[in-house]
Amino acid sequence: MKEGRTHKRFQKFGMVIDLDKCTGCGSCMVACMAENNVPFRKDESNKLLSITWMRVYKLTNGMPFPETDVCYLPRPCMQCAGQHEGHSPCVSVCPAIATDYSMESGIVSQIYTRCFGCRYCMASCPYHARYFNWWDPIWPDGMEKYLSPNVSPRMRGVVEKCSFCFHRYQRAKDRAYMEGRRELQEDEYQTACTQACPAGAITFGDLNNPKHAVSEMVEPDPKHSGRPKNPNAFRLLERLGTNPKVYYLSSREWVRRAGDNYLKNEKKVKKPVHHG
Amino acid sequence: MDTLDDHAKDISEDAAAEAGPNSSLEMNLKEQDTGAGGPIILFFILGLFASLVVGWIVFPKLLYSKKKQPIEFNHVFHVEAVDNGCESCHFFREDGTFSGAPKLAQCIDCHEEIQGISPDEIKFVEEYVSKEREVPWLIYSRQPDCVFFSHAAHIQGARMDCVACHGHMGESESLKVYEENRITGYSRDIWGKSIGGFKKNTWDRMKMDDCAECHRENAANIERKNIQTPTQRLIGHMVNLVSPGTSTFDKGGSIQTERDPCFACHK
Amino acid sequence: MKIGRRGFLSFVIGGAAGTALSPLPWKLMDDSSIWTQMWPWTPVPEDGEASYVNSVCTLCPGHCGITVRKIDNRAVKIEGMKGHPVNNGGICLLGLSGLQLLYGPMRVKTPLKRTGKRGQGQWEKISWNDAVSEVVEKLRDIRSEGHPQTVGFISGFDRGTVSRLFERFLTAYGSPNFMRMPSVRDSYELAQYLMQGVQALPGFDFENSDFVLSFGSGLIDGWGSPVRMSRVHSAWQSAGVKVIQIEPRLSNTAAKSDKWIPINPGTEGALAMGLAHVIVKESLYDADFIENNVEGFFDWKNLVIDKYSPDTVASITGIDSRTIVVLARGFANASKPLAVCGRGNGTTPVNIDECMAVHALNALVGNIHKKGGVWAVSEPDYINWPEIEMDAKAAAGMQHERLDGAGSKTYPFTRYLLPRLPETIDPGEKNPLQALFVSGANPLYTHPDTQAVRNAFDKIPLVVSFSSYMDETAQNADLILPNHIYLERYEEVPTPAGMIEPVIGLSRPVVEPQFNTRHVGDVILQMAKGLGGSVAKTFPWDSYDSCLKETLGDLWNYLIDKGFWSNTGAMPPFFGTSYETASGKFELINKDNGSIPQFKPVSIEGDEKDYPLLLIPYDSMRLACGFIGDPPFVMKTVEDSILKGKDVFVELNPKTARNQGLREGQRVVLTTPKGKAEVKVHLFEGIMPGLVALPRGLGHTGWDEYLAGKGINFNTLIGPVEDPDSGLDAAWGIRAKLEKA
Repeated sequence: MKEGRTHKRFQKFGMVIDLDKCTGCGSCMVACMAENNVPFRKDESNKLLSITWMRVYKLTNGMPFPETDVCYLPRPCMQCAGQHEGHSPCVSVCPAIATDYSMESGIVSQIYTRCFGCRYCMASCPYHARYFNWWDPIWPDGMEKYLSPNVSPRMRGVVEKCSFCFHRYQRAKDRAYMEGRRELQEDEYQTACTQACPAGAITFGDLNNPKHAVSEMVEPDPKHSGRPKNPNAFRLLERLGTNPKVYYLSSREWVRRAGDNYLKNEKKVKKPVHHG
Repeated sequence: MDTLDDHAKDISEDAAAEAGPNSSLEMNLKEQDTGAGGPIILFFILGLFASLVVGWIVFPKLLYSKKKQPIEFNHVFHVEAVDNGCESCHFFREDGTFSGAPKLAQCIDCHEEIQGISPDEIKFVEEYVSKEREVPWLIYSRQPDCVFFSHAAHIQGARMDCVACHGHMGESESLKVYEENRITGYSRDIWGKSIGGFKKNTWDRMKMDDCAECHRENAANIERKNIQTPTQRLIGHMVNLVSPGTSTFDKGGSIQTERDPCFACHK
Repeated sequence: MKIGRRGFLSFVIGGAAGTALSPLPWKLMDDSSIWTQMWPWTPVPEDGEASYVNSVCTLCPGHCGITVRKIDNRAVKIEGMKGHPVNNGGICLLGLSGLQLLYGPMRVKTPLKRTGKRGQGQWEKISWNDAVSEVVEKLRDIRSEGHPQTVGFISGFDRGTVSRLFERFLTAYGSPNFMRMPSVRDSYELAQYLMQGVQALPGFDFENSDFVLSFGSGLIDGWGSPVRMSRVHSAWQSAGVKVIQIEPRLSNTAAKSDKWIPINPGTEGALAMGLAHVIVKESLYDADFIENNVEGFFDWKNLVIDKYSPDTVASITGIDSRTIVVLARGFANASKPLAVCGRGNGTTPVNIDECMAVHALNALVGNIHKKGGVWAVSEPDYINWPEIEMDAKAAAGMQHERLDGAGSKTYPFTRYLLPRLPETIDPGEKNPLQALFVSGANPLYTHPDTQAVRNAFDKIPLVVSFSSYMDETAQNADLILPNHIYLERYEEVPTPAGMIEPVIGLSRPVVEPQFNTRHVGDVILQMAKGLGGSVAKTFPWDSYDSCLKETLGDLWNYLIDKGFWSNTGAMPPFFGTSYETASGKFELINKDNGSIPQFKPVSIEGDEKDYPLLLIPYDSMRLACGFIGDPPFVMKTVEDSILKGKDVFVELNPKTARNQGLREGQRVVLTTPKGKAEVKVHLFEGIMPGLVALPRGLGHTGWDEYLAGKGINFNTLIGPVEDPDSGLDAAWGIRAKLEKA
């Protein structure tokens, strides 16, 4: 059996976010909070302490009036595969086996009860996608009624992050088992942000499944060291070699450049990209 | 115990030798004074015995508080009365979730009115059915909130039998006493009846290791095993010995452990 | 036997060995680690049976279909309804936060009666019967004194059965003073009435247009039906539709458009006339349409040719004349161009001339009542109630003019003029308003010059709020009769703002009412019954639900089943291409005063000497600025360049900041002729020099601790400026100055 073939058997869930369509409304952020029992506090204006698994960043091109331009960039967990699959920055530093990379879905998990709060993973995550619970979550009296039983509320002292709504995968699987199926349809497992996005800017699916829209949108070009054929596609901080599974599309050159740490006068370097 | 006794004898003989040319009577007296020799062993044994008694017998009694279910329930009787076996009351919903302990809505089909003469049934109808209150059943197999367990994956997917985890519950004529762990608040059935954590049957315990044991051997890794040849796994393992973490071919679906990915059972 | 030291040690060692051989330490370790993972104060959400309920969100006029996921009887998540004509599965952040409004601390949980002074926040709980009979007593007194016209009603909406019940109640009681909260709809309704002779909702067929020219409308910043507009925006991106945004600040809409053309604030009307000039001069207009359907083109043409050359307009608007010409050609040459006006998210009107000038552009290219054009949409006609019974008192009361002056000789065609209300409340004499009811509106927060509005409210002897939430108006009321929120009640909701396709949705109880609240429709029925006589006879229904069921007829079952009714693909059938004006055509001349709408700058408050800067508001999807305030989740999305701690940032061009000697993050005092506030400076290249921009939606005093006391309410810094032609509030900004704090 060839290695290529064995890998095809597994799913690799990924996301493509069309920044041309994204209006920066923030619905994905709230969809995520509402889906995943994310707590809130009286003052959420200190963004280093504010827990937002999905966060929309505002980028500006820095040009003076009236050449100014603004673009919004939603940032979930990138579910990095790393240079060889499973070598995500956070997973490789976790001393507690609280975060794990699943070969079967390509999703980086976080087990809150396992985490002891050392925050190594936060330090290693180049995307600031991980958040620490500095306080116990407190819902105002009565508001805990809306908490979803599918996601366990976190306690003080642990790290949490986007899970690609893995519980929705489990929910879909349960239904599939009932119907005697093992395979899921593309629309059966969609993240909360994808589903909510009013602009339809987020596409989610299995990058290894050629029938899924995502794999078509960022189809790799073997002639180009596995870069997506779509010239508008890019990933965040690609040159760090984190090999994220979240792709962005933008027709604006300055936005694509903002996605990585380019020096001011640097030309875009074509570098081999791991697309495994 | 023989060896222990021999050992004790050795020690007392050593003590006697040290004591020098005194008579054995004096020696005994001295031994009593200093607490050396045989009685010391006695103390040791006493301590050992006492703590073993505490650990094995007293401790579990202290650790668990005994609770009675709100009403008595006869599984045998009900299984006979319904058409569909366990699934008549513990059923899957259309979306694949499992109903668990039945709600009033299911009981009410038969128990709208009092059916028999059992005092528990009368209590059930009067206290719960007519007042539309759910029965606060104490769930023996309730897992912590961090656990995700899919009945569908095990029953529908892996075709497992209820008995594998729940034992012969359906053959019970009365509900056993619910023993609640005073520290964790969970049922004794999770750790298992044996305080030592030993189990004879698959349904004796419901800790993570018990899940993992089965997962390692059975269902969950089947897919992976099917697509990995033993040679591949061996090579993968050797590669990892030289350069850890390079190959994933000797692992389960998880990168961190030899098991399934953590998200398989955790939330 | 004496226990010596060695014996004791031996016992201890034996004990230790035995303990190690017993399960005690290992089991304790396991249990205590489990214990640390489950603090009793960390909630464990109970599992149960999942179910889904379809309903409609009414938090804004967008009226998206929603599907609420429930676990047993708890609502746990709101999602967009798939297949709904407005949102098809998408949902905005406010709609997603609905459950925080359902279970949250901002709810008014039971009828409350004020005990302290107004606004002090001292309340006593009273029973529903006491509350309603107290109101009925007061209304009976007012009526028996022969002043039924002194009772007013402010409502956020004027469509659907609930609003119609309010109006019906007032009419039967004898008062013409039903007032709707102002919005850009006021301007469009009036423009359509003057130019097309119809009273209808403005509908924009954005889905089918190929060139969109927006005069400052925040099309993706909460305008109209926000989720629909997001979907439209994505469709534009895919289809390559040209979108041009004209406004002085780089809003999200501007950033996502194909071209952002900054313009001197308040000169949008001049640009519209300038574009018309080019289109007319170069004969780019739809000659067929003009010939057959437009009245007054000749005079109008002469005027625009005469007075609005690109050079003239360039000097007014600050837009280069070449750009104006190119823009005009682009617009006229597109196959389905569409122009739209009204600043920001559309919660403030624009002056009528500007609206008519922009609407004339659509007529010029013949895009009225056509695919991809602007439509006058009439309501689905399903409310057919029996005639209102009016006794002599009611008839006499209805003879009085409206307090806000709408429909008077001065403003004959304007329907509602709520911003004029404060000035009509005369402190000297007996107050012309003896009792005021407020529902689905929060005028003490959303009205310009909130202090003046509060002073006016203070003079009204009885203010009753139907708010479900402790908003600013409820805080300053005498009685709060809390309504069920939209997730607890039945209510039908007609066509969403800006849509051309008729849709009726049904809001329905997703969960049982959580508190001691009551459907406002039922309260109205109860009040009518309490008053007796002809008022009671006007309301033959036992309850609101039965009234709704009867009104909807067959539609009820359909709505219960499907969740919404829509006439997909149907063009609004009611007005077609015919115009109900005197000429039977689209009239370019204001028949109100016989004049041709021209660009007349709105006289913004404050003089340049004292106030060198111009303060303008801006809107964001993340800051709800209507009758709903931001729930905690939405507050979380507000960027730290807008709000930090309790401080709001004003946007300032770095150039302006340099001139003023200010730097990023500096604390400054923002002063306008209406008030002052402490704010911080945020430098933003995307705003025209000389302007200061402040977001709307902050500075609440009511709601909950997650929202109150943060930032500044823009409306405390601005006052209304009356448009002399329509009476509408035409203020787009106010002069301001910044000083170091």
